[in-house]
Amino acid sequence: MNRFNFPTIKPDPALEELRSEVQAYLRAEKEAGNFQSEPECWMSSSDPIFSRKMGKRGWIGMNWKGYGGHNRSALERYIVTEETLRFGAPVGAHWIADRQHAPMLVEHGTEAQKEDILPRIAAGECYFAIGLSEPGAGSDLAAVKTKAEKLPDGRWKLNGQKIWSSGAQHAHYMVSLVRTSPPDGRNRHVGLSQVLIDMSAEGVSVKPITDLAGDAHFNEVTYDDVILPADALLGEEGGGWKQVTSELAMERSGPERFLSSYATLEQAVIELQGKMGSNARARLGLIYANLRTLRGMSFGIANLLEQGISPETEAALVKDLGNSLENKVTQNVRAMLSELPMNELSDTMKRIINIGILRSPPNTLRGGTSEVMRGIIARQLGLR
Amino acid sequence: MIDIESLIAQSAAKIHERNGGRALLHGEIAPNSYWDAIIENGLHLAWASEESGGFGADLSEVAGAIWNMTPAPLPFVETLIANKLLELGGLELAEGRASFAIGAADGTHIIPFAQQVDDVVLFSEGQIAHYKSSDLSGTALDSLSPDTDGVADFSKTNPINSAQTNISRPMIEAIILTLRSVQMAAALDGALSLSIDHVSAREQFGRPLSKFQAIQHQLAVAASQVAAANMAASQACAALSNNIESAWHEAVIAKVQISDSIEGATAAFQQVHGAIGYTMEYDLHLHTRRLWAWREALGNEHIWAQKLGDDLAQKDSDNLWRGVTTGAW
Repeated sequence: MNRFNFPTIKPDPALEELRSEVQAYLRAEKEAGNFQSEPECWMSSSDPIFSRKMGKRGWIGMNWKGYGGHNRSALERYIVTEETLRFGAPVGAHWIADRQHAPMLVEHGTEAQKEDILPRIAAGECYFAIGLSEPGAGSDLAAVKTKAEKLPDGRWKLNGQKIWSSGAQHAHYMVSLVRTSPPDGRNRHVGLSQVLIDMSAEGVSVKPITDLAGDAHFNEVTYDDVILPADALLGEEGGGWKQVTSELAMERSGPERFLSSYATLEQAVIELQGKMGSNARARLGLIYANLRTLRGMSFGIANLLEQGISPETEAALVKDLGNSLENKVTQNVRAMLSELPMNELSDTMKRIINIGILRSPPNTLRGGTSEVMRGIIARQLGLR
Repeated sequence: MIDIESLIAQSAAKIHERNGGRALLHGEIAPNSYWDAIIENGLHLAWASEESGGFGADLSEVAGAIWNMTPAPLPFVETLIANKLLELGGLELAEGRASFAIGAADGTHIIPFAQQVDDVVLFSEGQIAHYKSSDLSGTALDSLSPDTDGVADFSKTNPINSAQTNISRPMIEAIILTLRSVQMAAALDGALSLSIDHVSAREQFGRPLSKFQAIQHQLAVAASQVAAANMAASQACAALSNNIESAWHEAVIAKVQISDSIEGATAAFQQVHGAIGYTMEYDLHLHTRRLWAWREALGNEHIWAQKLGDDLAQKDSDNLWRGVTTGAW
């Protein structure tokens, strides 16, 4: 048996047709000045107008049937998302809802929730934020203290605090991991549940946190006696830990785990067209080989997910390797650009490389740190 | 696209185990019985087409056989490549241990595993020629690996058979780099297994090394590189299997990626083994020394990254992206 499961996938002409369509559209939008390319666009670059356009094209909500979904394959969604990353398009508003919470609602939502929320997500009009980390619970996620207390009438009373919730200031909903009953002795994984929170509910307050570059995309969210309806519980009461870990495994292998900095490389290649010296060429050759390999691994997992297989270790591995590569790409682009005098670089290039550098620290933190990923891989190797 | 459970791969695994498995690898030359079993099972002819006298097996199955025999000290990969070259030249296949050389401008050519082979197939622009080793005068090259390469001057010797060919140098490079990439991925995987075994057995400070997070993380990172190497080799095999004329690009990518992976991974494997990994007695060097040698063979990753970059620099950003996403060039 092979140590890991990474199938090699042949290019599919039907997917390439979709790619051309998406590419043509994004190119036209960019040339019309409707967006500026940015690295890490899926996290920090939000534009509700652009999200609605993506929704109209049928490029959000591709993976579910009915409720506004387009019933297309996970591979088709992969092609669309990797193209938006290449172009550094402002997809941050809808990214999390489309990737994470829509599939969660499809699986665990009530009929009413599905009918109400899913079509709006697919239209690019309804956005979500993630409520996992807390001031006292980062990598040690099971230490969350936010509490949902069941009221006699079946509703829930929510109290606590979430942190680093990206996009919470624009989000219509948030899904949070909360404690619904005490831990069983030393087993803290029991008694955790996931709840759906309407951000307009009374008692929810959002306070932006400014990042080191001066942007405020992540937030501190406080719940002060927030009353949630009975159906706010997503999935099983007490089954939150299992739900969260399987959800994380699904989202760790996507193209945004190795292409966050690709927009920087794209601009550099345009900028250096016909001017690349031997140092730049050697570096480009190396990161090109790395990118091609990571894409093979990530797309191989997308194929497994399409078949209903969710390989946790392989996903962790792609995330760890891919996040390191994102930073390696940025560092190599710096070196490539050093062949040109500063005054020959366009303002666009200078802006993008600066954003790329400033937005690099979270690559290896969000969605589980590199250290957590390495722990998962080590367990698979039989070392833990 | 490396099928280690194919019939051919299983038969390779059996031959490997019967002839000593891990233990035999310490010899500089594999026992004759190992090679005899390869011949008996026709594995040396597995990849050559049926029309040329081979068995026409798919590369994914052949790659599985290479994987399962790595790092045995015998010229199995070299023989597969030599016979593929003979097939492409429309020449009769070699019956025994064979190797290959690819023409250099000065007339002297490097022959991998030169000491152990009876036949050498030389590719030079426009020609494929079959030589007997005994007719060639050459010298052994200083090597990182126990499998000694040689260098010979072919200009004063007549081949026993030759043919004009329109096969291009990049096609030959694609073949060599792809099969080597499978070997390198396999040796990385083997070294990872040794490392896991070692850190699980070795105790310090009253517990196995595997229980230290510093060790776990080093091997986790190395394992990611092993997986990347496997993917790069698989993509190269898929491309070569699909069409030899367009396989060069993925083969070079595999060469660059895997060589890049070797750097960090072998450092971690040596480190977690401690001093025992630095000895001739212990198995690790059988993998790591060959990895360092194969990384250099036909030029190292810096040379090939430069060639890839030269190609990329001629094209635009659309081309780069198409390469990343589809492998097409």
